[in-house]
Amino acid sequence: MEETIAIPTPGRRPWRRHLNKLRWLVLTLVFAMLLLLPMISLYQTYVAAHGYDLLSPAQQRFYDFMEMLTSPFTSDPEKGLDAIKGTTWSGRFFGLQLSDPLAVLGQIAAGFTLYWPFVLSALIPVAATLLLGRIYCGWICPATFLYELNSNVAALLRRAGLNFGRKRLDRRFKYLVLFLGLVLSAVFGSVWVALIYPPAIIGRELYYAIALNGFGVGAVFFVLTLLFDILVARRGFCRYLCPGGALYSLLGRYRLLRIRRDVRNCNDCVKCNAICEFGLNPMRDDFGQECNNCSACIAACPTDALSFGIAIRDLPNQGDGHLGPRYRRQRAAGKEAS
Amino acid sequence: MSLPRRSFLQWLAQGTGVLAAASAPYGLAHMLAPEAPPSRVTKRPARRTLRPPGALATDSAFRDACIGCGLCAEVCPPRCILFHERDGGEDANTPYIVPEEKGCILCMKCGEVCPTPALEAIPRQKQAIYDKVRMGIAQIDRLSCYPWVNTGICGACVLSCPLGSRAIGFDFANLYRPVVKPDCVGCGLCVEVCPHPSLPIRVVARGESTVTGHETVEPLPQGTPSGSAGGAGVLPF
Repeated sequence: MEETIAIPTPGRRPWRRHLNKLRWLVLTLVFAMLLLLPMISLYQTYVAAHGYDLLSPAQQRFYDFMEMLTSPFTSDPEKGLDAIKGTTWSGRFFGLQLSDPLAVLGQIAAGFTLYWPFVLSALIPVAATLLLGRIYCGWICPATFLYELNSNVAALLRRAGLNFGRKRLDRRFKYLVLFLGLVLSAVFGSVWVALIYPPAIIGRELYYAIALNGFGVGAVFFVLTLLFDILVARRGFCRYLCPGGALYSLLGRYRLLRIRRDVRNCNDCVKCNAICEFGLNPMRDDFGQECNNCSACIAACPTDALSFGIAIRDLPNQGDGHLGPRYRRQRAAGKEAS
Repeated sequence: MSLPRRSFLQWLAQGTGVLAAASAPYGLAHMLAPEAPPSRVTKRPARRTLRPPGALATDSAFRDACIGCGLCAEVCPPRCILFHERDGGEDANTPYIVPEEKGCILCMKCGEVCPTPALEAIPRQKQAIYDKVRMGIAQIDRLSCYPWVNTGICGACVLSCPLGSRAIGFDFANLYRPVVKPDCVGCGLCVEVCPHPSLPIRVVARGESTVTGHETVEPLPQGTPSGSAGGAGVLPF
């Protein structure tokens, strides 16, 4: 008996294929905000000083530009532009203080004290991670924005014939980095995990560069991580070293939102494995706690076999896709034998 | 038997390499950074130890609490809050103020936005500021300040002080000689307006001050270098 196979008709593709574009929009917006916030802060200080005539010509051009940008939204830039402040490390978002769970953990480790207003500011991110997994890594992290662009650079280099960046390391290594970072923070009494955590680095270095005296050491560290990603492993820092990624992975281990493969629609084309930034194996249902629900594999799947589902565990390996050549060959062979 | 051990050693070597690479930028920066870049204003080595207003009493407690998010600087209207951005070490990314370059206007916005206990939210009232702000304290060099060496009438520092007569006033005997009082919090606005090229008024850590009687306001926190506290007359300040 022939199994019914639902081949999706062209033009009727499901909307979830566009989630990856939405994700890129969000990543771009977050990054643009991190560029814009120091500029707004600088502009506000110029406004507060009431000294337009004392500014240099370049500063006056900047002032005019920011005035043009913000005047549709507020008539009092000194007080009217305070809705969003800070970075993804810790910031104020429409009156709500939000902090990275790693910031809270690092601060607890460094000071051995619980300061509840600060601890509670990580509540929403933690709850979101428990439900949605490493969603921060895939959808918000300003470093992800640069790292994914960097992956494209690496891919171009590889296409040009440079054969590196294919190493596979032990992905449990990042948990050691997280542990060591917290221990060192506790020993030296300073939040040292912040020094090696790319989104925190990006946020503050952009602030230093735009509003203060230029980039600090963190920028050097970040460039090193970009080189690591190109030369050693694709997205190697996020996969193997990032302390925040480790924390989010642990929190998102029993997440509810998971990408699942419909084995009947899968044709084993390996596009999902190729596109997966974290080197996971969606084609064989291997997501694990590392998956950041970025939905790139969903967008890449030509037969729409991948979709979001609600479950506390991944499906066990479902084997060959039913549209794939091997499965069909085996079926044909089985039919002949019977 | 040898395989797991070898892979463990490999793992360890890789880990050491990665840790070394990670600490390299910060370690190198710490070694290469000049001890204290000279101040733009005075050309002397700038003091980079004064924390924003409302900071925890001891520096180690402040480092424990501060996560380096930069919110305090983002809301600072005069942009006087700077960061240890290039010198690595324990202080990395923590805020400081160099009052002689840019004085703090005591608007207290930084404490309001600080998500951690590093900066305390202090209401913008004179009494609260007297009681709780402990940035530093002003010092006057009586061997170069114009009125103190009888080369002019000035009083710019006294007029610029936002805190009034409990922080700085005129000497009893001579109406134009400025004298720092124990309640000075070290905002540095007086340093900004001082007309003398060598800035005879400057802000020092509270433990280093020779202003008589300010120690009685609050005992020095443990571990602070005591300097010449209380020794008025020892130095020509």
